[in-house]
Amino acid sequence: MTAWGLAWRTIARSPARSVLAVAGVTVIGALLFNMLLLSRGLLVSFRDLLDNAGYDIRVIAAQGSMAHRPPIADATSLAEAIARLPEVESIAMVRTDLGQVSAPGVNAAWTPIELIGMTDSKGGGWTIVKGSPLPTGPSAGEPPVVVNTTLASMLHLEPGSRLRLRLTSAGSASALPLVTVRVIGVGGFAFEASGDLNVATTMAGFAVAHGTPADRQAEMVLVASRPGAAAPALAAIARLRPDVRVLSNDQVMAQFNENAFSYFRQISAVLSSMTLAFAFLLIATLLTMSVNQRLGEVAALRALGFPRRRIAANLLWESALLVGIGGTAAIPVGGVLAIILDRILRQMPGVPARLHFFVFEPRTVVLHAALLALTGAVAALYPIWLATRLPIAATLRREILS
Amino acid sequence: MTGAPIIEGRGLTRSFAMPAGAVTALGDVDIRVDAHDYVAITGPSGCGKSTLLHILGCVDQPTAGSLVFEGRDVSTLKESDRSRIRLTRIGFVFQRFFLLPMLTAWENIELPQAEAGAAKPARRDRTRELLDYVGLAGRRDHRPSQLSGGEMQRVAIARALANRPALLLADEPTGELDEETGAQIASLFDRVHGDGTAIVVVTHNPAVAARAGRHLAMKSGRVITS
Repeated sequence: MTAWGLAWRTIARSPARSVLAVAGVTVIGALLFNMLLLSRGLLVSFRDLLDNAGYDIRVIAAQGSMAHRPPIADATSLAEAIARLPEVESIAMVRTDLGQVSAPGVNAAWTPIELIGMTDSKGGGWTIVKGSPLPTGPSAGEPPVVVNTTLASMLHLEPGSRLRLRLTSAGSASALPLVTVRVIGVGGFAFEASGDLNVATTMAGFAVAHGTPADRQAEMVLVASRPGAAAPALAAIARLRPDVRVLSNDQVMAQFNENAFSYFRQISAVLSSMTLAFAFLLIATLLTMSVNQRLGEVAALRALGFPRRRIAANLLWESALLVGIGGTAAIPVGGVLAIILDRILRQMPGVPARLHFFVFEPRTVVLHAALLALTGAVAALYPIWLATRLPIAATLRREILS
Repeated sequence: MTGAPIIEGRGLTRSFAMPAGAVTALGDVDIRVDAHDYVAITGPSGCGKSTLLHILGCVDQPTAGSLVFEGRDVSTLKESDRSRIRLTRIGFVFQRFFLLPMLTAWENIELPQAEAGAAKPARRDRTRELLDYVGLAGRRDHRPSQLSGGEMQRVAIARALANRPALLLADEPTGELDEETGAQIASLFDRVHGDGTAIVVVTHNPAVAARAGRHLAMKSGRVITS
């Protein structure tokens, strides 16, 4: 009979203890799996959001950051220069401001919104679910807008609806005009948070809302490089203007990783270590108790000529079986737990609705399995030492006397 | 005594370090077991019988003296070599049987053969043969908890004989059994001995001791009559 077979029989011999042990490993393993999902979830999810927006380079003012973006002076000239670069496929300029809208005939109350002005030829900032995207060229009449689904639902907006819009920039509210805009589309905005109310328009529409001619400013220029030309595009853009920062998606990720996401990573690392420590203690305690209950059997096996390595192999297999069964069960349990926790965390204010804290990756399963296997092996060390080093004759004598 | 002995101990001494000072459990014992010997070791509790048996079985080492098993000085052997000797050349029968409770009678007997590397068909034949030999062919799939004390000891004897050892060591094999069952076990030992296996049995049971060809009486760690 193999060591595996003997270990399996040993576990099956004490079903109650084994079920409890497996349940313990399952719960601990589920927590570990969750922490591992959390450790990279935001990174993977945010990276996915960035990549799916369709742009791989972001240009902001030199003194700004991704969270705080002062306007880039004469951004239009910069955008035109960037668009002429051979490494560049397309560009878009972005501006944002705070404002209020009301829907005449539906809801006269003013509702606070964020207005986004964008020259987006790729439609990467939102996904149209109803109506049409913003026009890329000039449009006559009332400025066209795309509203997000939350606002559309709240104000019962459809393509063709009219909205009254006024900006509420600090200190200039009295000077800002009240404009009527025309809803041409309803969409899901890539970076909108739960409950956010967004209105997107063209740069011309944005200028109309400000009551000024287009002032050639933008907070950010989004750039899509040609395939394989990201690095040369990055360098070429940086050479165009010294007063801007040019960030690849990797660099944007690094910024977030160092700041906002690092808290989650640290929490995940601490809790992962704790769960592994609990797993170690649980398995080590169970195996040690199991060995202590079977000292006579172990001594008899040694007396019958079973070598130490065979005794060690039995215990390692016992540990592997407990960890293997519990660790496997932990994956679906951890998955369900991750969905629940993700739903809770995504309700935090300011978190983009499409951002996930827990993201499944095959490598997480591999890491989870490797960490649990290592923990199981380490946890088996003491019971193995106990079993293989026990004095055979003295143990047999003690067992007879007891 | 003729031919080379299976095992020969000279001046075997075993002391145990205790807080109050060393205790000598076995003092200067000479013993020789030849093929076909049947030796009974008797004496009061604590006289060193089991200690001597453990040393003969290579599960304990003397603090002084020499032990030679089939021509090899046991003190010079590595632990793995002593394990191999125990597995293939020595059979052990314990007072408390120490069968593995999660295995059936068949599996308990097959286990040492598998460990010794016997092929599956050979193991199957030998296990069937041994179950017949100890009269438990009908209980092959029973676990120890489903067997009586006498049956468990018969399985333990079959397990001890699994790898055809030259020497069978038994430590109080009837100690947990009633008189009638003990007599059955003693008869089984007679049969094992008759089939050519040397036996050393430690016992308090005069009926078992009386069946042995040689009788060592011990007292205070020494052999007083041989």
